[in-house]
Amino acid sequence: MAAIAVHQFADCITCHAWSPDQSMVALCPNTNEVHIYKLVEENWERIHVLQKHDQIIVGIDWSKSSNRIVTVSHDRNSYVWNEEGSAWVPTLVILRLNRAALCVQWSPKGNKFAVGSGAKTVCICYYEQENNWWVSKLIRKRHDSSVTSVAWHPNNVLIATTSTDGKCRVFSTFIKGVDAGKPKKSGGGSLDAKFGEQIVQLDLSFCWAFGVKWSPSGNSLAYVGHNSMIYFVDQIGPSPLAQSVVLRDLPLRDVMFVSEKLVIGVGFDCNPMVFAADGTGLWSFVRFLDEKKAASSSGRSQFTEAFGKFYGSSKQGTSNDKSRAGVHDNCINCIVPMKESESTKMTSFSTSGLDGKMVIWDLKNQEDLLEYL
Amino acid sequence: MGEHVEADNAEAIITRIEHKSRKIESLLKQYKPVEALKTALEGSPPKTRDERCKSANWIVVHRALMAIKDVDLMFSSLDPEYYDILMKYLYRGLSTGDRPTCDQCLRIHEKLTQRAGLGCILRALSDTVNTV
Repeated sequence: MAAIAVHQFADCITCHAWSPDQSMVALCPNTNEVHIYKLVEENWERIHVLQKHDQIIVGIDWSKSSNRIVTVSHDRNSYVWNEEGSAWVPTLVILRLNRAALCVQWSPKGNKFAVGSGAKTVCICYYEQENNWWVSKLIRKRHDSSVTSVAWHPNNVLIATTSTDGKCRVFSTFIKGVDAGKPKKSGGGSLDAKFGEQIVQLDLSFCWAFGVKWSPSGNSLAYVGHNSMIYFVDQIGPSPLAQSVVLRDLPLRDVMFVSEKLVIGVGFDCNPMVFAADGTGLWSFVRFLDEKKAASSSGRSQFTEAFGKFYGSSKQGTSNDKSRAGVHDNCINCIVPMKESESTKMTSFSTSGLDGKMVIWDLKNQEDLLEYL
Repeated sequence: MGEHVEADNAEAIITRIEHKSRKIESLLKQYKPVEALKTALEGSPPKTRDERCKSANWIVVHRALMAIKDVDLMFSSLDPEYYDILMKYLYRGLSTGDRPTCDQCLRIHEKLTQRAGLGCILRALSDTVNTV
């Protein structure tokens, strides 16, 4: 089995994040609170509840380098939480948004974080030592609609965003004094751009785009569209090379690179999808990760199955249609990598979704996928 | 200026659709309904926002669609590259409310969904730019 652990933490989980040593997990149970669970003798115990936001929290990220948690919420605010003794102390970050914040991610070095919002802007936040204050700088231009996802390039300067205007864009976030010196040129993108300058705009999707991620090297990126498509882009720069892969099933919400040649997508099909690149760099759908999902061979047509979807999820899992009863039984909206140490290859990750489950997956015993790791 | 170009462009598209229509009639006379459908779907949607062009193209596609008698036979020779555009025209057909058209569209819709999956429906419904 690819799924090695399943935990029912709540009725619904909007997002989750792991502590740097992966002994703790922070998640939002679809409320204005963050719950932190710790693994104590094989059991997950709730050890902290972070209360400060007024509305649903939609983004949590736990910095790998500094043990700080950043949260964003529909209440338009963001807090950076520091562990002081046995308590988590929040610091308000003034984002100056007039719409909900939708997503957040720490930069690879942990000295900046990016917030995507419904105000058609991206906030790049950094700590100002002299004022003891998190400052937010806005990228106001370009986005014609809500920013649904942000992803940092490994070089700590470029970010990729997806938006409900269907576009995926790459910006420079070079901040003088925070990013020491000009970063070295790596990958396809030019890095001598000013703050907020757009490097490239990818115009592949005609509807909402979600879940952008960079490959580990930063040479390519992947994002998904609400039209059941996934897009892979190489050579980010003036002349990017794009590939679109058409899905047979329901759309994805988020993606994750396991390696340069292996991508996992999660979404409305309740079952992670595996995509791989062959020797020539051509991406294709390999299979569903949760084997329980057999090809729909039952007598029911796909059409009636579609109706079942429309009339609520209560039918799912209870009906005699076992083909969809996998580990998750509702939309998966969050996928987070889990890396044991810097030296080993990443093989495991966790997913959470609207069914309130958090599932840990491991690819180590998936023999057909090992060649792509 | 822009409007003028659009009008010229629309005339060119209408001429192309008329040409397509004649080709389809001759294919139907030769009892090649699938070839007729492929011809109708080619070059769709017309690259314009002009509703006149879209309607003209729909009339042509509708003519070919209604001539399909055996849906399974049709799919055995229709390449997957046509699936997404066919689905868009099926929804246009269903939106007319015309009984025989809806019957035919639903018949094809069932088989198309079996072959192309729910993703095909999603692509037809979510694309608000390339409408047919």
